[in-house]
Amino acid sequence: MAGFRLIELAKPFVPLLPEVELPYEKIGFDEKVVYTIIAAIVYVFGQFPLVGLAKSVVVEDTSNAVLDPIYFLRGVFAAEPKTLMEFGIFPVVSSALIMQVLAGLKMVKVNFKVRQDRELFQSCTKLFALLQSFVLANVFIFSGYYGSGLSVIQIILLNLQLVLATLFVTLLIEVVDKGYGFASGAMAIITVNISTNLVADVFGVNQVPVDSEGHKEAQGAIINLLQSMRSSHKSFLGAIFGAFNRDYLPNLTTALLVIVLAGLVCYFNNFRLELPIRSTRTRGVNNVYPIRLLYVGGLSVLFSYVVLFYIHVAAFTLVQLVARNDPSSLIYKIIGGYAPSNNLLYVPQFPLSLLTPPKSLLDCISRQPLTPITFTAFLVVTGVWFASLWQHISGSSARDISAQFKEQGITLTGHREQGIAKEFEKIVPLASTTGAAVLALLVSGGELLGLKGKGASIILGVSCGFSLLELITAEYQQSGGQSALTQVLGVSGA
Amino acid sequence: MAKGGNQIEKLAEAPVEFVKDGTAFLQKCKKPGNKDFLKIVRAVGIGFVAVGVIGYAIKLVHIPIRYLIV
Repeated sequence: MAGFRLIELAKPFVPLLPEVELPYEKIGFDEKVVYTIIAAIVYVFGQFPLVGLAKSVVVEDTSNAVLDPIYFLRGVFAAEPKTLMEFGIFPVVSSALIMQVLAGLKMVKVNFKVRQDRELFQSCTKLFALLQSFVLANVFIFSGYYGSGLSVIQIILLNLQLVLATLFVTLLIEVVDKGYGFASGAMAIITVNISTNLVADVFGVNQVPVDSEGHKEAQGAIINLLQSMRSSHKSFLGAIFGAFNRDYLPNLTTALLVIVLAGLVCYFNNFRLELPIRSTRTRGVNNVYPIRLLYVGGLSVLFSYVVLFYIHVAAFTLVQLVARNDPSSLIYKIIGGYAPSNNLLYVPQFPLSLLTPPKSLLDCISRQPLTPITFTAFLVVTGVWFASLWQHISGSSARDISAQFKEQGITLTGHREQGIAKEFEKIVPLASTTGAAVLALLVSGGELLGLKGKGASIILGVSCGFSLLELITAEYQQSGGQSALTQVLGVSGA
Repeated sequence: MAKGGNQIEKLAEAPVEFVKDGTAFLQKCKKPGNKDFLKIVRAVGIGFVAVGVIGYAIKLVHIPIRYLIV
């Protein structure tokens, strides 16, 4: 026990933090499905508006109102502005990822074989999540995002709501993580939230007021097209043009782009390198062992976005909190400031815009010509770095696979038993890093076309959904196909 | 100086190497056939839209609630 260990810090808080008990008995297939879905749905239910906000922040004098500075990051973290899920699952996901990465880099010393260490690590992660949401909440409160001149009670209320919401989300995710559900809770929540947003963007029927004359348009792109074709204040061609081009609400162009991206992710998800294997015990049993291209799945994108979030929140803190978004201040000149757009968004200016996806392709070419290079480079570098680290520290590294092979008496055709580990060490990191690079390129491609975070989120959503689907089918086959759910539903959708 | 230059060269080589290895890997990969792909897209699509519709229904429920409590 040499030196100070970060996880020890969590020790006094362990009895205070609520924790989900591990299931006593094996959870059946049906229950797992139900738990996973319900957890995600409870999250969607949790998007209640915050109590204690001034009623009409938007109507307020708009010239210096603080608008949403992280709009392009929201989709990825299932965050809904001005609701309990203001930061969505960001505090939870980022603290989990960062702690894992730190542990992987041996910067936080944890012995995962010791139960107490594992518990401490877990509590530490939770604590870190709460701390993050507390800091984020206060940055947003004091920057004036929730309106200026809040009373003390309002501030306390907001703090309480945001931090407790994070605690709630942590527990929600923990329920799924601890074996009541499939895979990771964060994945399920991301998938459900992103699919919800997709449906809302394409088929959403709720009407949103769009101009001062009181005209309303549907949120969903297709519904809007149908509606404006019939509406009296627009010509037929103008309606179609508007449906493809409106930039205040989802339009058909972005909807189509998102669907194309989703298809591409599906395509790449099925890239695999099939290694011929044979059994060392019985002769003549040949099979293939697939190594997926997207070895780490959507996690690399998630990590890139976590880093991006940190950068943008730090910049927001400096520019808004310290410099008050004042163009004459030094910080504004160095980092760049924010320009309000559409009375909804805060668009970062140069040089911060280098790491901000543009609002549209036209914007990208005319106003941020350097962004395609820097943004793509950022995504690729962080994604690849993370992938190469993650494949090493997660339970499916080259070493783990070869150990597994040995245990089951399988070997690669054309390799001696000793050669397996070496072969995997060549292939697995390459697969994961290449996959991460491909995903990063897809994300940046989508984002640079002006999807405002929708591109990244659909890619993440589909790849998370894919991982979930894979787990569920594997489990389904293992349980021998005995499931009341599938009998009720006829053929399962999966 | 020579050593520094060497390092920079190495640093510049790494991405090129990575791209080369990566594309080679991609070419070696087994790609999904047309039929497989359609099947997968359909499965994922149905799942995605089904879950999305449920989620959206919840969101719709939220709209009146919002009016009530705000």
